[in-house]
Amino acid sequence: MKTSEKASGKTAEHLARIIFLLAVLGIWEYVARARLLGPRSELIFPSLEAIGRAFLRNFSKGYAGNSLWIYIGNSMKLLLTGLLIGNGLAFLLSGIAAVNHTFYSIYNLVISVCDLLPGVALLPVVIVIFGVKSGVIVFLVIHAVLWPMSRSILDGFMAVPMIYVEAGKNIGLRGVGLLFGIYLPASIAYIVSGLKVGWARAWRGLISAEMIFGIASCPGIGLFINQMRTNMNNAEMYATLVVIIIIGVIVQYGILTPIEKNTVKKWGMAR
Amino acid sequence: MSEPMLTIKNLTKTYQDSPEQPKILADLNLTVDREEFLCILGPSGCGKTTLLRCIAGFENFEGEILVNGVSRKEPGSDRIMVFQTFEQLFPWKTVEGNITWPLKKTGMTDKTERHRCAMEALAKVKLADYAHYYPHQLSGGMKQRVAIARALALKSEIILMDEPFAALDALTRRELQNELLTLSAAEHRTILFVTHNIQEAVILGTRNIVLQKGGKIIFDEKNTLPKPSTPSSPGFAEVWQRMRDAIYANENAE
Ligand SMILES: Nc1ncnc2c1ncn2[C@@H]1O[C@H](COP(=O)(O)OP(=O)(O)O)[C@@H](O)[C@H]1O
Ligand SMILES: [Mg+2]
Repeated sequence: MKTSEKASGKTAEHLARIIFLLAVLGIWEYVARARLLGPRSELIFPSLEAIGRAFLRNFSKGYAGNSLWIYIGNSMKLLLTGLLIGNGLAFLLSGIAAVNHTFYSIYNLVISVCDLLPGVALLPVVIVIFGVKSGVIVFLVIHAVLWPMSRSILDGFMAVPMIYVEAGKNIGLRGVGLLFGIYLPASIAYIVSGLKVGWARAWRGLISAEMIFGIASCPGIGLFINQMRTNMNNAEMYATLVVIIIIGVIVQYGILTPIEKNTVKKWGMAR
Repeated sequence: MSEPMLTIKNLTKTYQDSPEQPKILADLNLTVDREEFLCILGPSGCGKTTLLRCIAGFENFEGEILVNGVSRKEPGSDRIMVFQTFEQLFPWKTVEGNITWPLKKTGMTDKTERHRCAMEALAKVKLADYAHYYPHQLSGGMKQRVAIARALALKSEIILMDEPFAALDALTRRELQNELLTLSAAEHRTILFVTHNIQEAVILGTRNIVLQKGGKIIFDEKNTLPKPSTPSSPGFAEVWQRMRDAIYANENAE
């Protein structure tokens, strides 16, 4: 009885969302067809069909002889490199901070300061130092994930219940053994939330950096969308936005949610 | 003559962070024989938990704690602690993993052997069917059983139990008491068992002590009632009364 009520509540919720979505699309299409915005209507509100065709064209024809796939590939390459280095560094530095008190207090300060700096604000400085290279984007992604992830890991370590640490010591764990055997798994809820924040910042940072300083040697999605704007290919522009949303959804529901389900949720460790 | 299992000499404990630094335990001396089931009673705050934590190696202390004649200052799997809180299992490991992983960390290299040991210990506490559950899927009583199984599997000679059943309902508590009684008779371990419950001590202990504030031992008696004993067993009421008097006199003295 209770569960079926819950289930029917869920379906009703889904239904409401679908209806809302269809309504938004319907209004869009109406505005487009009726040319409500006058002569510029077609630019601002291309019809859904035009956007759909642009979507396909992005992948078949693309821009400057390259399909959107190439741009996506470039963005993902930079993003992944940055995420790996950033998260790796976060674990390494937080691990050192966990065992060395002086390092902890300094690193804590560094995190607090750097976390306040939006990556895009750093762009000019980084470019002055490194020049316009794809490494700049990687640097920004690292900057986007390193600090929130480090903060999460350190907060997680601080919040590990003493009882797990003592149970670990009781079976002879010390130092690094405790770190890997107890502190890391025990702070999983914090680490997962750090991953989420890090990903969100990295993804936004990547797209904005690519839009501001598109790098010709490694053109990405941000550059693509900017080119569509300059060429007044507005349907393509909207279609690329849809691609960006789809990538976000894939990462959220294809990677982050499963990670959460298989750790925090499975172990009953939600914060 | 063989060494006693556990020897505590002139144990004095102060907590650095308490302002006037009172001696929580002052010059405590205690010898526990092999396979003894020692129940420790005493009013709240008299230092029972502190005593177990010193023995486990979780606290700094003055004096000496010897296991098999060897001084111990650091935690080790020869003295495994079963805490009062249900949250002592690693939530990220299954019930089985909560036993096999500590076995691995204490040097059991063979995986099938670890599995066998874990399943054997789980069978002893009647949880073999729950090997693949995660701790959050268990009841409090089941979690305490797993903690006991972990101590059994680790072959710890000394098991330190700090009111492990205090947070359980009466029925589950009775059940676990009975199981622990059977296990302690079969397992040849030395058990230090802190409890607030006199009846529990009389049922379980082969020796009972009562602490006073400051950790002074004001009652120390072998419990020779044939086991299993119940409150209606001959002699039970007398033992119970003597312990109650000791605790009560102690409270009045304050
Ligand atoms: N970490 C601590 N810091 C300071 N004082 C403590 C700490 N732990 C316990 N105490 C004090 O030590 C005394 C004994 O505590 P405890 O050993 O927990 O008593 P019991 O287990 O017998 O109830 C209490 O007065 C308590 O306030
Ligand atoms: Mg206590």
